[in-house]
Amino acid sequence: MENRAIVGSVSLTLTNIHRTFPGPVIAVDGVDLHIPAGQFLALLGPSGCGKSTLLRIIAGLDKPTTGTIQTNIPPPNQTPPLRYPEEADQPRKNPNSNGRSSIAYVFQDAHLLPWRNILRNVALPLELQGIDTAQRITAARDAIAQVGLSDFASHYPAQLSGGMRMRVSLARALVTQPNLLLLDEPFAALDEITRTQLDLQLRQLWQSRNMTVIFVTHSITEAAFLAERAIVFTRRPARIVIDHQIDLPKDRATNIRGEPNFARQTRILLEALEKGGA
Amino acid sequence: MRWIIATVLIFASSTLAADKVKLTLNWVPEPEFGGIYAAQQNGTFAKHNLDVTITPGGAGTPTWQLVANGKTDFAVASADEVFIARSQGADVTTLFATYQTCPQGLMVHASRGLKSIADIFTVGTLAMEPGLPYVNFLKNKYGFDKIKVVAYDGGLGNFLNNKNFSQQCFITSEPLAAKKSGSDPQVFLISDAGYNPYTAVIITTSKLAKENPTLVQNMFAALQEGWRTYLDDPKSANTTMSKLNPDMDLDTFAAAANAQKPLIETDWTKAHGLGSMDPQRWKDLGQQLLDLKVIDKTVPINECFVEVKK
Amino acid sequence: MKRFLNIILPPIVVFILVTILLEAIVRIFGIAPYLLPPPSQVFRAMIDRRDDLAQSLLSTTEAALTGFALSAVIGILIALLLSTSRLIQRAFYPYTVFFQTVPIVAVAPLMVIWFGFGLKSVAISALLASVFPVIANTLAGLLSTEPALRDLFKLYGASRTAILLKLKLPSALPNIITGLRIAAGLSVIGAIVGEFVAGVLERGAGLGITVLVARKNGKTADIFAAILVASFLGMMMLAFINLAGYFLLRRWHASEQDKD
Repeated sequence: MENRAIVGSVSLTLTNIHRTFPGPVIAVDGVDLHIPAGQFLALLGPSGCGKSTLLRIIAGLDKPTTGTIQTNIPPPNQTPPLRYPEEADQPRKNPNSNGRSSIAYVFQDAHLLPWRNILRNVALPLELQGIDTAQRITAARDAIAQVGLSDFASHYPAQLSGGMRMRVSLARALVTQPNLLLLDEPFAALDEITRTQLDLQLRQLWQSRNMTVIFVTHSITEAAFLAERAIVFTRRPARIVIDHQIDLPKDRATNIRGEPNFARQTRILLEALEKGGA
Repeated sequence: MRWIIATVLIFASSTLAADKVKLTLNWVPEPEFGGIYAAQQNGTFAKHNLDVTITPGGAGTPTWQLVANGKTDFAVASADEVFIARSQGADVTTLFATYQTCPQGLMVHASRGLKSIADIFTVGTLAMEPGLPYVNFLKNKYGFDKIKVVAYDGGLGNFLNNKNFSQQCFITSEPLAAKKSGSDPQVFLISDAGYNPYTAVIITTSKLAKENPTLVQNMFAALQEGWRTYLDDPKSANTTMSKLNPDMDLDTFAAAANAQKPLIETDWTKAHGLGSMDPQRWKDLGQQLLDLKVIDKTVPINECFVEVKK
Repeated sequence: MKRFLNIILPPIVVFILVTILLEAIVRIFGIAPYLLPPPSQVFRAMIDRRDDLAQSLLSTTEAALTGFALSAVIGILIALLLSTSRLIQRAFYPYTVFFQTVPIVAVAPLMVIWFGFGLKSVAISALLASVFPVIANTLAGLLSTEPALRDLFKLYGASRTAILLKLKLPSALPNIITGLRIAAGLSVIGAIVGEFVAGVLERGAGLGITVLVARKNGKTADIFAAILVASFLGMMMLAFINLAGYFLLRRWHASEQDKD
């Protein structure tokens, strides 16, 4: 099952998204955003500003108080377009059922099922979608190989380090060949070295597939390294400060962080953060 | 002159202050304690220099243990319990035997037409309290293999529902309640089968009996008088008791008091006085309990009861 | 071998020390045997009555295990039902407390009328006494699944059944085992109390009957002997549950890891 270039990606248009919690706590205060298909977008902002809330809304795990999201998915996936807020409570079903879900989500913690081994954890999304055992085992092994953990397929989460668990979480997210990959500060709890390695790996995975990635972080260097485009938010309630195209080449190695142009990008983002009250 | 007499009397009565004692019952106030309450309210106790606090009991009140432990001075128990207590090293002894004939029985449905106790053990279910000495006695004598013997829960439900259900009873209690519920109870007394311990006896510690024989004599005398009063006219004591035991109505009190009369006043008591005891019966009971392995060694009967001279 | 000794030796040592201490106290203070029997007398009672105690133990074990098994199944089912909706939970959960507070001696006579004397009623008595902790602990486990995991399942379109069987139940397993541990001892008590009311008097009638007979005859040593035997039953049940817990949880739950 050659799964590299066939995956489609999704474009999204957010219109006037507001999200208020009881309190009242205004998490998101009027966000308009268009994300073209296949883009790697970073959402930057101070802690608690509402960027995670926005991500959850995009994922369908939460619904906006007002506002709409429209997506266009090019064939062949034919996943029905999402219209909020009516569909927010319904599970996202893919009528095609050929192993493709439109959305995958990577949390801040790996959140693996501790009673399952790595292989069965990674196979979980396919299992929930009704894919038969043989197919999903193959797909899972493939995903595990992509993150370099083939030797640990029979291990249990308790036996792995934090970094390895996060890689498993990543593999799980990729196993369904998603059109849209959402990540919420996934590497924040890891050490610098592991983090740098995983950043690189993530970027390579994105480059080899045609998927849209939205990456929430509060690390400026990570945003600059990973993304094509970075949006900086204010302190809560989240409003857009700047929408900046990262001016760096498409292929990036880890050592790009040492280059002067990199520093220029991070300075722009830093100034925007400070302006937003970070 | 009057003054001197008055002073002397007051002085005398203050030195002759009544003995304050506790008497614990082994059940709620019912006709089996009628003589005690009669003595209380007629001033009989006071007349015999006793200030008695009567404490009612309930299911499972451990009366001989309370006496042996000094928690109460006098209590109500049964003669077989006295043997059991003494064999366990508890120093209790008996002064007064209320029931000359044991009021325990087996209650069956009259419609079954049973002629004797032996018939009860041919078919059906029989409920008895586990551990009662006469359970062993009946098992030995009649055998339990043809019937189902179950624990007695203290209620009438099973008896009322099932013709072939029989159960233990106290002659003044369950049969009257069953009749009231419209059933047809028939009672066979255990004593007729050959097991007849003195019941509702008054016990105290041997120590008290030795050190204060006057107190014990006074109690004995007061109880005799109290029971005489109650046997002749139970009404006022019944009224007192029914206030303490609202679950039983006055009609039932009257019927029970009547039913128990022949068990309390017998030819023996007419000759020897109410509450008095025959050493031979104690001997027989002791042997029976030994044979039934309820006690594991002989208990000298002169420790089990005291003969109170009037 | 060493590990096995490490597990069983400490409690045995405690048992021996406490026994010696009690024996000394009873002898020195001359405590009457019907109040607190010296351990030597209790052991002698156990030996003298070993046939009856053994058969009674079998009888009580049958009822306790049956009641416990029913508790486990019914308790988990009720908890599953309660976990399906907040409304159902709010409406019915308070009434499960009924199982915890109902005095068995009060309802036992009713049970006898419905189920007759003997095993059925005694097992149900054991059930009533032990089901509440299973319900409470299982429910707590079912409701405390990580929200992020719930989101994950929701994201991939999992059906309610899938969420229940693949997420909530496995996640609740440690709690279920805790509940079962508590229920084990309670089922033994429930069986004994049930025998008080619904027991059939025969050879090996059950530890409850043994206790009643001993009580009536003032043989306190026999009462303690029966209690010790009942504790033994409880301990055996606990040991099995712990073993099951070990095998089920050892690969992933903190409670079974790091056992030195």
